Amino acid sequence: MALLKDSDRAALRETFTEMTARVRLIFFTQALGCETCEIVGQILDEVTPLGEKIELVKYNNAIDRDQVAHYGIARIPAIAVVRLEATAPDDGALAVTEHDYGIRFYGVPSGYEFMSLIGAILDVSSGDSQLSAPSRTLLAQVTEPTHLQVFTTPT
Amino acid sequence: MAIENPNVRADMIEVSEYPELAQRYRVYGVPLTVVNQTVRFEGGAPEPYFIPALLEQLGLKRPAPEPAE
Repeated sequence: MALLKDSDRAALRETFTEMTARVRLIFFTQALGCETCEIVGQILDEVTPLGEKIELVKYNNAIDRDQVAHYGIARIPAIAVVRLEATAPDDGALAVTEHDYGIRFYGVPSGYEFMSLIGAILDVSSGDSQLSAPSRTLLAQVTEPTHLQVFTTPT
Repeated sequence: MAIENPNVRADMIEVSEYPELAQRYRVYGVPLTVVNQTVRFEGGAPEPYFIPALLEQLGLKRPAPEPAE
């Protein structure tokens, strides 16, 4: 059974037309010992086709340990939201590189968190934080690695 | 904030799925933001309050306010 209503699908499809750069959703899952992995997979399978510029990659947390380490995945289910940027190396062949802003979602993105995920996809695509000018000036002073963990519960 | 500054990374965590995290960070109410595993911000503060408060907690001085016109 579909998780998203038809009306939600239509609204998201419309929203995603605003996307400029492509966004890759990198999903870390596991068949055993992960109660909520399946539902997260289903959510992503439903969201991805609504955006022409969204793509989904799945890794197995138990097997793809290099990818787990590369993206710094701490637990599952996890979603990394990265921007895809085209670069043109000297040999003329077009290459795509990932711009990883360090944005991760752990657990089921439902309710308010679902909207956070959609917002993250849009912001990562634009590469624009949407913060105010004073906030940007302040944040520019952060020169050390800073890790924000935002805890939420289903709403 | 993670988009704005490459030094910042951000995890959004559905904490009811990770009881060990709820315990470790003593999550009694949400939203709760934990910075660098230690500094805590409870509740959802709007951006004009949150970012200055965060910088203060990180030990970064705020710039002088813009002079009034």
